[in-house]
Amino acid sequence: MTHEVRTPPLRPTAVAPGQTAASAGLMDYVDAGLEGLWHLLTSMRVAMVLMMVLALLSLAGSLIIQITADQAGDSAMRAEFLSMIQPRYGGWTNVMVAGPGAVTLIAGIAMLAYGLHRFSKRGELTWELGTGVAVAALGVLVLATDTLGLFNVFNSLLFRVLVAGLVISLVACTAHRIPGVWRTATKPRVDVGASFFEHAPQHESVVVHATADETLATVRTIFRNRHYRILTQSDGTVHLYADRFRFVAFASLAGHISLVLILAGAIIGTTFGYRNPSFVIAEGSTIPTGTESGLAMKLVTFTDTWYTTVADVPSDYASKVELYKDGALVAAQTIRVNDPLTYNGATYYQKAYGQAVVMTVKDAQGNVVYSQGLPLDQTAGDGSGRDAGTIQIPGASDVLYVFGTTGTSDTTIQPGQVRAVLVSAANNSTIADQVINQGKAQTMGNYTVTFDRESQYTLLSINRDPGQILIWLGALLLFGGFTLIFLLPQRRVWARISSRGATSVLSVASLGRRDAALGTDFDDLVTDIRAALQTPAQG
Amino acid sequence: MDKMSGYAFVAAGLSTALAMVCYALYALSGLRAARVQTAGVPTTSGALGFVSGPRTAAIGRYATMLGWLATVALLAGLVFRAIATGHGPFANMYEFSLAFAFGTMLSYMYFERKYHQRILALVALPVALAMMWYASTIPSTIEPLVPALQNNLLLTVHVAVAIVAYGSFSIAFGAALLYLLQPEGGRWGLPKPQVLDEIGYRAVVVGYPFLTLTIILGAVWANTAWGTYWSWDPKETASLVTWLMYGAYLHARVVRGWRGSRAAWLLILGFAAVLFTYFGNLFFGGLHSYSGLNTMN
Ligand code: HEM
Repeated sequence: MTHEVRTPPLRPTAVAPGQTAASAGLMDYVDAGLEGLWHLLTSMRVAMVLMMVLALLSLAGSLIIQITADQAGDSAMRAEFLSMIQPRYGGWTNVMVAGPGAVTLIAGIAMLAYGLHRFSKRGELTWELGTGVAVAALGVLVLATDTLGLFNVFNSLLFRVLVAGLVISLVACTAHRIPGVWRTATKPRVDVGASFFEHAPQHESVVVHATADETLATVRTIFRNRHYRILTQSDGTVHLYADRFRFVAFASLAGHISLVLILAGAIIGTTFGYRNPSFVIAEGSTIPTGTESGLAMKLVTFTDTWYTTVADVPSDYASKVELYKDGALVAAQTIRVNDPLTYNGATYYQKAYGQAVVMTVKDAQGNVVYSQGLPLDQTAGDGSGRDAGTIQIPGASDVLYVFGTTGTSDTTIQPGQVRAVLVSAANNSTIADQVINQGKAQTMGNYTVTFDRESQYTLLSINRDPGQILIWLGALLLFGGFTLIFLLPQRRVWARISSRGATSVLSVASLGRRDAALGTDFDDLVTDIRAALQTPAQG
Repeated sequence: MDKMSGYAFVAAGLSTALAMVCYALYALSGLRAARVQTAGVPTTSGALGFVSGPRTAAIGRYATMLGWLATVALLAGLVFRAIATGHGPFANMYEFSLAFAFGTMLSYMYFERKYHQRILALVALPVALAMMWYASTIPSTIEPLVPALQNNLLLTVHVAVAIVAYGSFSIAFGAALLYLLQPEGGRWGLPKPQVLDEIGYRAVVVGYPFLTLTIILGAVWANTAWGTYWSWDPKETASLVTWLMYGAYLHARVVRGWRGSRAAWLLILGFAAVLFTYFGNLFFGGLHSYSGLNTMN
């Protein structure tokens, strides 16, 4: 039948009751198992359950604090994160960690128990058995490996397995539908058999005082006026098939496949892309970008502008930068929020900014070993909240830490001052620790340190994402595909004209499925046909 | 201009409240007419089975007129506000709530025209009224735009599209609620269950592509402002949750067995997700918290 794509998948029963005889060979079970798996993957119910479970997990992820990727990657930071959230969630912390795995395990066991129950009662091998084992095994695996649970939803094994399941189901579903859709578009079944006209969701029968050919001509005109494609076939009885917007079925396929594209784009992006979420550069400095060899960025100036009408509301952040490839200027732009710089596939976004200090350090011989803007992009470890920066003295094991002021209320480091701490990394001892004034050279150990002036740094995020093209292509298909399905609902109508001399019987039927609008359309169509054939309406 | 928009919103609130009263009266007299009809007295039967007498019809027309008045007043308020601020209604919860109310009213009026089911107003108008009331309790001061929000066109479209989606989902919610509330056999002068089911579906059919577009435009904006199209920011995630739920609902329609009350429950859940997405930033802080970029402080 041409309309088999429409029928909801039957509840997959791996093996029919009669087939469970002991004589069934191993291959029969494998066959039945594979068939059951295919049914499961192409089942709309499974797709719906996957969507709902993913929705619930995501909901948890949007409500519960999520660990950052940096923290999750480092075992010490993980432990710190968990101890930090312990007071907030108390005894629930462990529940939230073990919850997803435990629920999965319980769901698997429940399914298995139900399957066993069915088996013992009626001897049926049902999909619950295999699925139950798989789900329970997943639950055990999640319980054994996932130490963060609901605190790391989007990177968890469970979430990935569910997304993978949905995508496999999507692919299976689409593959499953392609042959039917293709056949419907290219050679739909015109003769659907007499009983179809009695059982279709919408059907009408009309007795006409005209020959079959005259009736066909009239019906044809009506369909043509409504822009239907018309196919006919005759074997004494005239069969007619008419459809509209048949290509919309392809839009539905494209809409579904687009989700696979988007996911592929995301995977390609994270696997092959380059990402530096905090590229820090002080005014006047030139730093390699890290995206390709020989490429360096210079921050000419950074400007933050604030509204004068309201307090503390920024109006603009602008980083004027220049890109140099092997020393030659290749790009220059003022990067703003919403106005990033793109060069050679990598994009540089304005993300944050902060205080920098221009420092000059000379060694005992008076040679300048450091002289540039130092971003104070770190935070002092003493809980004071001071911004800090680190200078690794070139060619020596010494490290100079510089701390900024916290503002006018700061009595230790006043505005116009920094605190500099020189540490010998060789034996981890402090050589000198002084608060120094702007513009005055200060001797610290073997060095002369000068705090020249204050300046600013900008923090850019650098992103090269080769998967993006797929993402936007997928987004386009997704939106276009689903919009078309709704905007141009496909219509398919069958008719059959059998004649006895001067009178004919015209039967019309359609597969109203999702909405009454299709039914209304069908009624309009029948009304038109009746009017054209001038037969009295009958209930 | 800002004053004018304030007046327009007050007018909108009043007309919505009045319209609500008329719709309630209409429903009550419809109920009476239904009783009379069951008692055997002939009455005229409206489209799709809603029973109405002549008096009822007059109240119904007033209700509809007031409803349109409220919709137009909301639109006028939003336009004045946009002229005053120089941008679309996306800078704070005040603007966005009134836009939500407008979306709900507009969708309601559209569905009333299409399906003649005034009874839906009993759910849809309170949603709009609640949004207006909520807007009246929060500051309406015009705040200047932080840099991230200065991408005017993209943001205006993003929000306009979201509002159509949310408005349609309010209607779907209304239809689902009435579906679940009605007694067995669909008495009380309520529309036939199939009609409510149908309206719920139609509303999602309108809302779903718009929600899809909202999420896509959000991703485009995030990509230009923050350099990532997706960052599992709570507001983003909540909109994905909403999208998945309505996706499940749409599939439920294709599976015949899921029509009716199970589908209606999915619509209620979906609308809960809409409200959560909308109010979410009140209790989770993320990139989307309307202060703009939180790293930029
Ligand atoms: C996140 C995943 C999915 C989304 C967002 C999605 C979305 C949609 C939408 C919007 C429709 C149109 C509904 C309508 O016409 O009323 C639809 C139809 C459909 N979907 Fe999905 N879907 C998804 C996954 C799946 C999966 C996994 C399957 C397979 C089990 C599937 C099978 C179908 C079928 C058979 C139809 C009916 C097609 C038609 O009427 O032409 N979908 N889907």
